[in-house]
Amino acid sequence: MNLADLLFRSPERRRRRLASSHPTGPLGAYLSRPLPSDKVTIQDLEILSLDLETTGLDVCKDSILSVGYTLVRGGRVVLSESGHHIVRTDAPLPRESVVIHKISDDQVREGQELVDVLGELVPKLAGRALLAHFSRIERRFLEAATQEIWGVKLPLVVIDTLEIERRKLGRVQSEVAPHYLRLFNCRDRYGLPRYRAHNALEDAIATAELFLAQMAHRGRSLDRIRLRDM
Amino acid sequence: MEIEQLEIRDFIARSAPLERLPGGLLDEIAASLEITYFRRGTTFLSPGEINHSVYLVRTGAIEIYDETGSLYAHSSDGEWVGHRSVLRGGEVQLTVRTLEDSLLYLVPGELFKRLVSDFTEVARFFDERATDRLRSATEGVHGYADALNTVQVRELLHGGALVVQRTDSIGEVARQMSQLDASACLVVDGDEIVGIVTDRAFCTQVAARGIGVSGPIARIMTPNPITIDPNSVAAEAMALMARRNIKHLPVTHGSEVMGILTATDLLRRQGHNIVYLVNRIHEAKTTEELVTLAGQLPETLVALVESSMTAYDIGHVVSSVGEAITVRLLRMAEDELGDPPIPYAWVVAGSLARDEQAGRSDQDNAIILSDNYRESSHGEFFEQLARRVSDGLDACGYEYCPGDVMATNPRWRQPQKVWSGYYREWIESPEPKALMYTSIFFDVRAIHGTVSLLDEIKKDVLARARGNSIFLAHLAGNALQFHPPLGLFRNFVLEAGGTEEKALNLKKRGVVPVIDLARVFALASGLAEINTQDRLEAAAASGGLSETGMSDLRYAFEFIGALRLRHQAEQIRRGQEPDNFVAPERLSSLERRHLKDAFEAVRTMQKAMGSRFQVARLS
Repeated sequence: MNLADLLFRSPERRRRRLASSHPTGPLGAYLSRPLPSDKVTIQDLEILSLDLETTGLDVCKDSILSVGYTLVRGGRVVLSESGHHIVRTDAPLPRESVVIHKISDDQVREGQELVDVLGELVPKLAGRALLAHFSRIERRFLEAATQEIWGVKLPLVVIDTLEIERRKLGRVQSEVAPHYLRLFNCRDRYGLPRYRAHNALEDAIATAELFLAQMAHRGRSLDRIRLRDM
Repeated sequence: MEIEQLEIRDFIARSAPLERLPGGLLDEIAASLEITYFRRGTTFLSPGEINHSVYLVRTGAIEIYDETGSLYAHSSDGEWVGHRSVLRGGEVQLTVRTLEDSLLYLVPGELFKRLVSDFTEVARFFDERATDRLRSATEGVHGYADALNTVQVRELLHGGALVVQRTDSIGEVARQMSQLDASACLVVDGDEIVGIVTDRAFCTQVAARGIGVSGPIARIMTPNPITIDPNSVAAEAMALMARRNIKHLPVTHGSEVMGILTATDLLRRQGHNIVYLVNRIHEAKTTEELVTLAGQLPETLVALVESSMTAYDIGHVVSSVGEAITVRLLRMAEDELGDPPIPYAWVVAGSLARDEQAGRSDQDNAIILSDNYRESSHGEFFEQLARRVSDGLDACGYEYCPGDVMATNPRWRQPQKVWSGYYREWIESPEPKALMYTSIFFDVRAIHGTVSLLDEIKKDVLARARGNSIFLAHLAGNALQFHPPLGLFRNFVLEAGGTEEKALNLKKRGVVPVIDLARVFALASGLAEINTQDRLEAAAASGGLSETGMSDLRYAFEFIGALRLRHQAEQIRRGQEPDNFVAPERLSSLERRHLKDAFEAVRTMQKAMGSRFQVARLS
């Protein structure tokens, strides 16, 4: 056990503690694999880019509507490892969800149960870092959901493209206007195409591409950028 | 997964040659894609590597270099890279580098090979692109690109090359060249080729720079010429010539000189239809026959564009068709009306005179009569002649000139002395209206009749214009009235008028400004050249324009012209009337980049011209 683990309640330390008490099921599958070390290079790291569409921003009141994800491995987005699920919920959809996410009440009634969606998603996160743009939403909703279902907040290693961008811009300007950091404005600056927004899978892919662009613009090859440089 | 709803899948479904694949297969391709991103200047495939994927450019631009470091191909949005190595079994032979930040989709090599073996249109698409950069030919004009791909350079050679020693005198070489009617010769030192001399060098070096003819030929040769192997395909030779902007290519096999391949050799081969077309025009008996033959011009233009000829050469070819039709109409009219009662010259103006005709041209023409013209006895004949030719041209697609600059207008059907008076007035009192005519009547060529009637006027005009600083200042001011757009992404200056509002007028904003600049340079130096690129070259050779200024403008003119021709060919292929309006979104990012550079070069020269000719002092 190294010093860092002793001084900080690191996610990896929590994972190890939880792994012994949750050996089975999707959660067990997740906990059985070590979280990526901060020394691992982006070339070797496997990253799951995740996007959740929710009914709102409040973890206590709002619920997950859909989940989209794709894999980033060796500097490439691997579409064959991507997925999209609509989550069943009985709550009436707020109007804006229907408009923005283009998800209808009917689709949601026929969606999968959250527990089944997590059952597929969580093992795919095992041993990987989670990537999101403004990751607070994904992290909190995911933690709340696993807490509710398995009584455990998932220990996660998270990379946030918005944070990467904020820090990059912060070096040249003290204050960054919020709209500047929105996914599609960030993508514009790297010459990435405009996708129509707001399908969870499309956003997960868009975030993954943004991440590749951000890494390419560091001017170092991916085997010379480490997770801790994030 | 709902891959079929993804925009990525839409993009694949739009990309040639996948458009017509079954939907299920497109889903499969989309689902197996990988995506990567490279910053500009990243080399991602190098010779000797093994490549397992075929890349589809989503956004960005890619440059491909061959083993000698010459640019082999460009790829941009919706185009492919890496298929050559995958089809070859994986071994990379070319260097592939991003020219701009690029987002690329990777199709697994195994899946790609399956597409190639299962779908003939996919196989054909990549097969045509495997050996050269020529565009896929449309039905009906297919023969052109094929001919260039299958014909070897050796088959196009006729006779050997004239070879001279580097110490031979310029005069002696000139004598040998003219005796053998050779347009170029190779200069050797012992066995080794050390240079090439073309007939142009005698104008640009010997005549223009006053190099003595007793000096050694090595003084005027172009050193270390690029050579080509006789087993190379003609398309490669053409691409090489186009890229290096040369018209003569020595063909060597080891140390053996096989001959010199000229642009004309290529033109003759790949444009055999054009030679044939011009021949048939000269043999046509009726206007109806001519109309039918003229109807082949659009598809000929498409083929020329696809054969990756330069805009300069295409302009000459298309103009030669226009000229042939005019001459044929004149002969037919003379056959019916009888011999002309007095000498006359049929003069063409504008793009036809400059050898710069493109997809669509109006007619601009005039008649210079000899000074013994009498209205009462000769008027009827020439009025009839002009009418017949003008109507015939209109029927053949060369529409009546909206400004009425045609021989049918009595004003432009006058004796030589009246014409001399016109020119004198235009030069000495350059009113705005007069300047409008300058841009037409200072680009003229006599193509039929007594050509000397025009030559005498020209001589006088060139001498007068050269020293007249007020005239030149007005002409320069006139040349500055159309500017290229300032920028391409947000500053596109849109043209007014109907459906064409959202497009860039490549002619008015790109081609015409360079034509106008070149005319000023030519007249300021008293040069007789008419073609815009020839004018620029001659102006540089005479010291009236810097070498850099010349090459920048030539590059800009050639690029804008080529873009315009590609656009027109595309319209013809879609069954539309060719025009000059290009929608910005139809340009690839690479084209936008080059276009921006080209516009920049034109603007820079416009500014320089404004101050050099003191245009500001006029107002």
